[in-house]
Amino acid sequence: MRLAMLYLAFRNLFRHKIRLLIAVGGIALALVLILALDAIVTGIEDQFTTYIDNSGADIFVAQEGIRNLHMVSSALPDLIVAQVKQVPGVETVTPILYISTTLDTGKDSHLVYLIGLPPTATAGKPWRIAAGIAIPEAGQIVVDSDMAKRDNLKLGDTIKVFGQPFKIAGLSEKTANLLNAIAFISLADFARLRGSTNTVSFVLTTIKSGQLAQAVAGQIEQQVPGVTALARSDFADQERKVVIDMSADIINIMNLVGFLIGLTVMALTIYTATISLRTEYGLLKSVGAHNSHLYRVVLYQATANTLLGFALALLITFLLALAVPFFNSRLTLEITFVSLLKVGLLSLVIAAISAVLPIRQIAKLDPTKVFSGGKV
Amino acid sequence: MALAIRNLLHDKLRFGLSVVGIGLAIMLILLLNGLTDGLSLQVSAYIDHAPGSVIVGQANVKNLLGGSSFLSATTVADISNTTGVERAIPILLQSAIIDLDAKKEFIYLIGYEPGKGAGPWQLTEGHEPTTDEEIVLDRVKAEQHNLKVGSKLKFLGRQFNIVGLSQDTLSWMSSFVFIRKSAAETLFGLPPGTSSFIFITPVAGGSAEVIAERIQQKISGVQVTPKNAIRQNDINLFVGVIGIPLNLMVVIAFVVGILVIGLIIYTATMDRQREYGVLKAIGARNSFFYRVVTTQAVIVAIGGAVSGLVLALLAGQLIMVLRPQFLVALQPLVLGEALIIGLLMALLAAWLPARYLAKLAPAEIFRK
Repeated sequence: MRLAMLYLAFRNLFRHKIRLLIAVGGIALALVLILALDAIVTGIEDQFTTYIDNSGADIFVAQEGIRNLHMVSSALPDLIVAQVKQVPGVETVTPILYISTTLDTGKDSHLVYLIGLPPTATAGKPWRIAAGIAIPEAGQIVVDSDMAKRDNLKLGDTIKVFGQPFKIAGLSEKTANLLNAIAFISLADFARLRGSTNTVSFVLTTIKSGQLAQAVAGQIEQQVPGVTALARSDFADQERKVVIDMSADIINIMNLVGFLIGLTVMALTIYTATISLRTEYGLLKSVGAHNSHLYRVVLYQATANTLLGFALALLITFLLALAVPFFNSRLTLEITFVSLLKVGLLSLVIAAISAVLPIRQIAKLDPTKVFSGGKV
Repeated sequence: MALAIRNLLHDKLRFGLSVVGIGLAIMLILLLNGLTDGLSLQVSAYIDHAPGSVIVGQANVKNLLGGSSFLSATTVADISNTTGVERAIPILLQSAIIDLDAKKEFIYLIGYEPGKGAGPWQLTEGHEPTTDEEIVLDRVKAEQHNLKVGSKLKFLGRQFNIVGLSQDTLSWMSSFVFIRKSAAETLFGLPPGTSSFIFITPVAGGSAEVIAERIQQKISGVQVTPKNAIRQNDINLFVGVIGIPLNLMVVIAFVVGILVIGLIIYTATMDRQREYGVLKAIGARNSFFYRVVTTQAVIVAIGGAVSGLVLALLAGQLIMVLRPQFLVALQPLVLGEALIIGLLMALLAAWLPARYLAKLAPAEIFRK
């Protein structure tokens, strides 16, 4: 009997192909609302930690209380650099200056994170160079290749930072995100522009082999006053947390709206499919089919519809993930297993709830009216 | 018209579900637009209440909230002494992330000189900072973290006393926090007198454009921009960041609306295909069927638009009560917006059923 009901459900489902297409499309798009937003946020999280992940530093030392890189300002007296170097387990120290600012290319203004690098930087420099040099000298700047491409800039061209001209000496790759790009100038130029010569923003530290980054970070915090030291992975986690905390509420709202839209589309579809076959359901009842058998048909239909919608939603989101970077190279979509699991479970909830209305209709069906031509 | 209405209302539950479905799609579009407009109002709240009509920042800096700007004490003095400047109010502004209750809060820290202006424009409780150890937080943010006037807040390694709570100084992305300018200079390790921006008020009868040009020519290394332009640049910056995902959501919601209307009209058409076949057999023209289908679609769309508007108003209020950091600013023309969206959805959705009816062969229907 179970197989027969399953067969019936599939027959019903594929009877009206256009209706099936619309229903599956509707539920799929509602689920895409949730999947795509999750993927965008995860993409932003990954972009936000790119510099940290590729910095080559094992530990980030910042002003006390600073546990992030983006959207912050950290100021440490430059004496700190030598103190950090003295901590057992520390191999190298690279002081950097860092602020968010605007670059004027002559054609457009671009928001950038500007990083000042010392000539001997062992960490914090651009990790992929498309052309030119990685560590800029006085009067030079290394900019993101994608940003340069947008404004048709090449090596040797001049752009302005805080009104001062800098010659492009290097083009870096993978140094742009949805919000901005990263640009590198020399530490000395940066200090001059900032009007302060005895301050650094972060000290990027590498550790000796065999040492644990967390342990050395703890040592730095103990031995150097007024600093916060975090291992690279912990620092990256803090950065991800900014994105998560800032986007949590808006994601919850969108998830709820996506869920409600998906639920309504599915309820409408299953209800419509059931009502259009009420005579047939009445006939089945009259020949002895139990309500439970017919409920099963509706549930199978709802589940199959939703699973098809889920599969289509996945396909659309994967296609979006492939297509979006062609239109906006700084926007990436990262689909995670957790997101898939969440949306998959949500789909099953949608299927179960959307079956309630049709099930009530079937329960109320009066088989005797099927034959008398009345409303069943 | 009567036929279209009868067909639609033949199954009231189906009609109701479709109106709710379209309503939700339209609600989502209106909500997203309302959130975007609300965010614009929130991020420009500080600049809207700041004094002056011209803002001076470091060269190339055309945003207040987009990046850092540093002006030396000498530059600030030169600007203040420029002919035609009535008032020049400096602030030191830096973005920061603070950890409150293990949650990351993105803030704009504004160092200002109390008494001169450019600080919090409305305090619900307490007073402006009078020492370098005092801080004013946004009221809602403080409530969310169980902080009140008299509470302590450790920030960038320094302890501050909360002495005031400000009103309308947050968005769902960030909030404004106020301390004395001298405290901000110390906090960020900057030389005394360093400022980020200067708000310029021209003398009575003076022209903002003339002052702007004069400062730009006289003082090097600065960017002089009208306040309105900076305001718009800040809005573009914030809305630009969330614009791409939001537009994607709007497109999806729009297509969902089309699909829901399409589903209901298609089903209503299929349910009545025999009757339509009879009408065709007795000479009804295709234009008649187009009218019926379009009327049905428009009725569903209007129902959806009205329900979408009501849902958006209710959801907007609910969001703002539960999450006060969100401002859903639904504009007065929102009903017209909902109707236009609904009608566009209706016209696109009517295409498939209309095409089906145009191709309908009466003989085929009778054979079925």
